[in-house]
Amino acid sequence: MINTGIKSLHLLLLVACLPMQVVIAAEYNAHGILDFRVNHINSSGQGYLTGGQGKLGLGDGVHFSAAQIGADLSVSWDNGLSAHGVFNAYPEATGDGEKSALGLTEIYLKYRSIPNSAGYRLQTKVGLFYPEISLENNAYAWASKDTLDSSTLNTWIGEEIRVVGTEIKVTRLGRINNDKYDLSFSATAFINNDPAGALLAWHGWAISNRQTLWNEQRTFPWFPAREDGKNLAGQAHKSDPFLELDNRVGYHTRGEWKLRGKGSISAGYYDNRAIPYKVVDGQYGWRTRFYHLEARWRLSDNLSLTAQYLSGDTLMQSKEKEDVVNNDYASGFVALHYNWQALVANKKHKSTLRVEDFSVTDNDKTEGDDNNEDGQALTFNHSYRLSKQWFLSAEFTVIDSHRPARSYSVQPVDLVETQWQFATRYFL
Amino acid sequence: MLKHSLFFRFFVIRFSLLRFGLPIFSALIFTFASTSVQACTKEDPTCVQVQVNNVKNQPLANMVVYLEPLANQVVPQQNKTVEISQHSKSFIPYISVSQKSDKVNFVNKDDITHHIYSADSENKFSFKIRSGETDSSTHFDHAAEIAMGCNIHDWMSGYLLVVDTPYFAKTDEQGVASFTLTELGKYRVVVWHPQMRAENNRMIVEKELLSAEITTFTLQKAMDDIPVQTSDDFDFISDY
Repeated sequence: MINTGIKSLHLLLLVACLPMQVVIAAEYNAHGILDFRVNHINSSGQGYLTGGQGKLGLGDGVHFSAAQIGADLSVSWDNGLSAHGVFNAYPEATGDGEKSALGLTEIYLKYRSIPNSAGYRLQTKVGLFYPEISLENNAYAWASKDTLDSSTLNTWIGEEIRVVGTEIKVTRLGRINNDKYDLSFSATAFINNDPAGALLAWHGWAISNRQTLWNEQRTFPWFPAREDGKNLAGQAHKSDPFLELDNRVGYHTRGEWKLRGKGSISAGYYDNRAIPYKVVDGQYGWRTRFYHLEARWRLSDNLSLTAQYLSGDTLMQSKEKEDVVNNDYASGFVALHYNWQALVANKKHKSTLRVEDFSVTDNDKTEGDDNNEDGQALTFNHSYRLSKQWFLSAEFTVIDSHRPARSYSVQPVDLVETQWQFATRYFL
Repeated sequence: MLKHSLFFRFFVIRFSLLRFGLPIFSALIFTFASTSVQACTKEDPTCVQVQVNNVKNQPLANMVVYLEPLANQVVPQQNKTVEISQHSKSFIPYISVSQKSDKVNFVNKDDITHHIYSADSENKFSFKIRSGETDSSTHFDHAAEIAMGCNIHDWMSGYLLVVDTPYFAKTDEQGVASFTLTELGKYRVVVWHPQMRAENNRMIVEKELLSAEITTFTLQKAMDDIPVQTSDDFDFISDY
């Protein structure tokens, strides 16, 4: 009898509490991007996405594609807490496109405090997310804002760098301290990024808008060291960049100085702390470390600059702890953005010119696996805002690269590739 | 913090549509000068004027001027409503003035949510305000200088000056603020602007205000830059 009484009391309390939870106002947001393109590519063969030696996502020829269908979903509460889920789909392009893929790219919880009276704000993020590196991919679903394809630097971030972890960011707001600048510092502890570096070694730097989905395996070109009996015979045919192989926690730190109304300068360091001789089901740990620098500056009302540089190394060893892949790599770009409002009296036209330089230096003696690479790329984009949400873009890219590994598949070591893209992008 | 929303709101299911703000016309900021007392003419015997000039002796517009009676003068009773809007991801006007206990309405004229806050320890508040909503949940019942921000859009910056007098105004393009007083006498005349480089961002004079008196203030230092409340950014940024 008493027991039943307690039970019903519990039930009553539960019922009383339920509406309390419901009335905490939650705001649901669904954003996304649809990106339809026509590409005309001049290359020596297949693009890197299908395991070719090309530096572009698609290979030689004309392609029609829905280059990205992305959904950026979030729920935010009034107490500063929010939950985010980002999904991306990449339907198969005509021509030699890779098979259609659909999946999750980010999912995390975020909490942002109200700044205290000293102007300090705390933000934490827990889940699967991108470490804060890219200055290009800040549109919905990590789409690139000013160009159709990301730079080599950020194409790599989208392909191999993603973490499952906790980020803590402290921002000191200048507005509250009578300073013209904001300062922020963040630190992330993470797991699940041990094989990062493999794809960069084996297909080099590349240019596309493709992001690796959670749990997705990515292909790379064939090279002689993968043959039976050779050093890399044990490597799986595809690389799975988001694995935890050694239960060691990696970290990423970043600092930013932001001058109000002008721009920002930031720098960071990433180290996945992977054990380089650890191998599970053909997936090796790659000790990958790099630093990165970014600058964004408004040069005038219409002209602004974005620049990024990343440099680091990666190491993968045999079970006997001998170096199998030991590479240094670097990539950087400078982009200028011009708003044509002075000439066409509106903000609907915007042009972007991006120049980049990239390299991989192979320091190991593994035969049949030359990872050396050196190249430059130039991209010009012009976008027109047709209506609030529709954008029309034309983009030209030329990549000049020297890559000895192309000789493994009887392709020119020195190659100049060009790509014309015409796209219509819809942001929801 | 959750004052208004905790109990009075239900789930707001909304697909945030577009982030397409109208361009900000800086002129708009200035035309919103919230004059509490009607401008008066020199012929009016109870009209007093305050002239504010910059360090180069040129008139300064949009400076807040208020008069605090020091001799128990009779002041008019009024109940005004002050509106602070969020428009094109900025606070408009940049500076608002209210008499203590006046109702202050925050009106979100953007098609996105803002998260308005004040971090000041004595006047702390924060609330989210969704597109098209008006929020009047925050009460300002003592004189204060409140710096406001948006926790989603860090470049947004606005001020609310709460005064304990009905005599407040912003200077016009000629640098003049006019007041029709109910009673002349001794007043504390204060000029305030958050970017005025002076102690407590103020200049103060206590004096006997006579009929048709013009009090002139000339700043000792150049004004600091007024923050630009804009981000040139694209409307489809994935951030908060």
